Amino acid sequence: MQKRLLISVGLLSVAIIAIQLVLMQILSITQWYHFAYMVISVAMLGFGFSGTVLAIARQWFLDRAETVIPLLMILSGLTMALVIPVTQSLLGGFDMYLLFVDTSQVWLLIVTYLIYLIPFFLAALAIGLIFVKYVANIGTVYFANLIGSGLGGIVAIVFLWTYFPNQLPGFVALLPVAAGLLLITKKYRRAFAALSSLSIIIAVFFIARPVDLTVSEYKSISYTMDLPGAVVEDERVSPHGLVQVVSSDALRHAPGLSLAYTGEIPVRKAVFNNGEWFGPLVAWTREDTTHLMDYSTTALPFNTGYRENVLVINAGTGTDVSLALTHNAQNVAAVEPNIPVISMMMDEYAAEIDSLFHHPAVRVQTLEPRTYLKITREQYDLITMPTIDAFGGTAGLYALQEQYTLTREAFSEMWHRLSPDGMISITSWMDYPVRNPLKILATLMELLENEGVDSIEDHLVAIRSWGTVSFFVKRTPLTADEIDSIRQFCRTMFFDPVILPDLQEGERTHYNDIEDRSFFNYVDEILASDREQLFRDYDFHLRPASDNRPYFSQFLRWESLPHLRELFGDQAVPFLEVGYLVVAVTFIQIFVAAVVLILLPLFRIGFKGTGKMWTVLYFSGLGLGFMFIEIVLIQRFILYLGHPIYSAATVITALLICSGVGSYVSSRFQASPRILRRAAGIVAGFTLLYILILPFLLEWTIGLPLIVKGLLSFLIIAPPAFFMGMPFPLGLRYVSSRNESHVPWAWGINGCMSVVSTALATIIAVEFGFVVVMVCAAVAYGVAVVVNAGR
Amino acid sequence: MLRKAICILLLFPVLSFADDQNERERERERMVERQIVNRGIEHGPTIEAMRTVPRHLFVPDAQKRNAYNDSPLPIGHGQTISQPYIVAYMTEVIRPETDYRVLEIGAGSGYHAAVISKIVDEVYTIEIIPELGQSARERLARLGFDNVEVKIADGYHGWEEHAPFDAIVVTAAAEHIPPPLVEQLKDGGKMIIPVGSPFFTQQLTLVEKRGEEIRTRNLMPVRFVPFRRADD
Repeated sequence: MQKRLLISVGLLSVAIIAIQLVLMQILSITQWYHFAYMVISVAMLGFGFSGTVLAIARQWFLDRAETVIPLLMILSGLTMALVIPVTQSLLGGFDMYLLFVDTSQVWLLIVTYLIYLIPFFLAALAIGLIFVKYVANIGTVYFANLIGSGLGGIVAIVFLWTYFPNQLPGFVALLPVAAGLLLITKKYRRAFAALSSLSIIIAVFFIARPVDLTVSEYKSISYTMDLPGAVVEDERVSPHGLVQVVSSDALRHAPGLSLAYTGEIPVRKAVFNNGEWFGPLVAWTREDTTHLMDYSTTALPFNTGYRENVLVINAGTGTDVSLALTHNAQNVAAVEPNIPVISMMMDEYAAEIDSLFHHPAVRVQTLEPRTYLKITREQYDLITMPTIDAFGGTAGLYALQEQYTLTREAFSEMWHRLSPDGMISITSWMDYPVRNPLKILATLMELLENEGVDSIEDHLVAIRSWGTVSFFVKRTPLTADEIDSIRQFCRTMFFDPVILPDLQEGERTHYNDIEDRSFFNYVDEILASDREQLFRDYDFHLRPASDNRPYFSQFLRWESLPHLRELFGDQAVPFLEVGYLVVAVTFIQIFVAAVVLILLPLFRIGFKGTGKMWTVLYFSGLGLGFMFIEIVLIQRFILYLGHPIYSAATVITALLICSGVGSYVSSRFQASPRILRRAAGIVAGFTLLYILILPFLLEWTIGLPLIVKGLLSFLIIAPPAFFMGMPFPLGLRYVSSRNESHVPWAWGINGCMSVVSTALATIIAVEFGFVVVMVCAAVAYGVAVVVNAGR
Repeated sequence: MLRKAICILLLFPVLSFADDQNERERERERMVERQIVNRGIEHGPTIEAMRTVPRHLFVPDAQKRNAYNDSPLPIGHGQTISQPYIVAYMTEVIRPETDYRVLEIGAGSGYHAAVISKIVDEVYTIEIIPELGQSARERLARLGFDNVEVKIADGYHGWEEHAPFDAIVVTAAAEHIPPPLVEQLKDGGKMIIPVGSPFFTQQLTLVEKRGEEIRTRNLMPVRFVPFRRADD
């Protein structure tokens, strides 16, 4: 086996993974995360497509492999460098949000898909061709492929910390060109040199002069930039996203401010992450005795008692931290996982916020809040978090964002971190149709019931302004004095109590009336512990989220769609729950495309003959199973390692490198049905075992230092990953021994199903939870076992 | 014969213009009947104003044929002219009377100010985007809406020189209600304001000042359909 070939496969594999992550980041900036996911998923069908093309024209490609392989690699590098300039410059006007109102956008979307597909198709065709040509050494080639893919994740993350995302495709593009150069033959040396030089020049040009990214006009930064004198003052890149600081003469932030406030609202700079509102540079100084947010429903806990120890979850730019300091909190834990924003607040912008995060009472923790809750032993008088949902709703754009701070387990952990008089405070905008406040209330009710609280009504408060509603749960029953203070606060601020002991007739709507009072009926139904009925009848999903299904903002119920269409009209529905709809549409597109791509080669290799069903089932099982496990492991390690990026990097690297080793070792075994059965069976067994033991393993060791946890993660992932690397190369060798023409087809099937599995895993996780995704992974590997039984 | 033909040719633009005008009037009449009256707007002066103001002259040329559709339309700079029903509803809610002094925040194309100006004596409107403010000012002057004054400024501060106002109409969504606007509202005055993101669901909120107390009432949800900016 040539060393150069393995290095070349490795380099190309690094590029394929790195370009995926880079394009995801770019699309998350210009559009939304789920759109990014959709485009990349469809583009990844390039893998399935390459298998189809290879299966149909296998001999043609094999006859010219020495020339075609480096050519495909260099062309894939060239197209990687061009994909962003072409889509941004020529198709910059595309906007996901307009997809449902403007039919021309559908065509733009299709063209976008096709452009993104090209580099993936070319790269996959090169790898597929190498797999077919060197199938006897597939264990080693696949090893190089997996090691390269594993490193690709790390390379992308290093790049994302260093360069602006629009420069990165240029950098990544150099890798496939280098991979191609390693393999060029003497025959067309000049032509290859010319093509490589052109590719390198283009890549370097777009590194030096990257194209401007066109951000959707429906992202919050776009309409902020319409304000007079708006300028982006500062930008910072990282895998967390693109952080931008914007200033404008008309940028004032006082969400849900009481109408009792008569003072000035200062003009402040604002911070955006990937074009989405992140927070203002807070208007606060150490001498302040009142705070703008004292005139918001969130301020209630400071009016019912002294809060010495305060935990601010997702502290952002520090609004809630400064509110706590204004009320003389002595110990404020500010937990915010976005490291670049915290570093900007602590360095460049420290002077503008009176060194808020350097205040002696403040301790900054750059962690996932849930990780902090698991490791802290402190007791807090107040645990607070930022307002849920964006102002005016987000149309379900975050439906598929895992929100681990809003699960029943999160609230339970918060409850156990409360001091005897401590309170949890959570605020939401009043959305319409009402969803967020009802789900919060349902979650809090479940918390109080699960904690065995006797008289729930004495522990729960909700107050409402013209735009927001805040909920509070107190560890011990509310005292008469506290209830009086709450009423007094409401009167002063023109707020109304929604839930309060001894609520009087008319109190709920004294200052802020609502035309449609069904909101109060729903609140009462949830309070009356008769909420099962409401959960069943309501048009939106209101059941509390859990760590197994951490999708708090996922409200869509498929069975309600006809009724919602009737109420709001056809066009409105997508704007209620666009995020989940996008994934569902993606899944349907991918599934249809995958079926077509799998069936297409049969016209060439024939529908009849033995072993075809075996090939479909075996390689589909592997494609689905591998990705299901990868997706769930990434989710499971987020809380453990304290950050989605650490989790993704650790899991992808450990999984792929250990699978690579497994693949390498597999070359020592004979590719017989018995070995295939065993390899797939061991993976299925590990999957089932990990469903049971992984949560405990992670829970026991979560308090260890990060570096130790990183190492432990690797050790936990290594055993199943080692075996996960075996079934695919063994299967290809087995297929090759029976019918060589099935090899590219099997490669295509595996590619198609890997892509199907990403969308399918999300849908299963939303509907049934991660445990079921893991069970499905075991079943998928089980299929690979069953098809080899009796052979 | 030739002379006749020349006369017809010369008359053609005039006839075509007249036809166009008649067609727009018919569309407007249909709009008022179907979108305004049939949906429960009862305030006579509001209905009459909606019947009179030529909405098609307040939208970009490319949108003229859609001017009387049951939807908002893009007017550039990411802004929209509200759906006709919303304009009528927001006007009816403040119950404008002849001697009213009304402040509008967010002039946009000037259409809503024009509608209100048909009912009340004085309308003051503020637009933050200079290009929109300037064109609204010129359009309103050209069409003879003499009782509307346009200022290009940040509407947050209101218009102190003409305060207090009997009613304030805020057409742009706001995540907070600017204190100066509440301040500039007369005792007993009303302010109507859409609360929520301009691109998603909004609720129209009526703010009423009664002595020392300020009360609100969430009236109805409104959803503005997103549109590509006209200047794209």
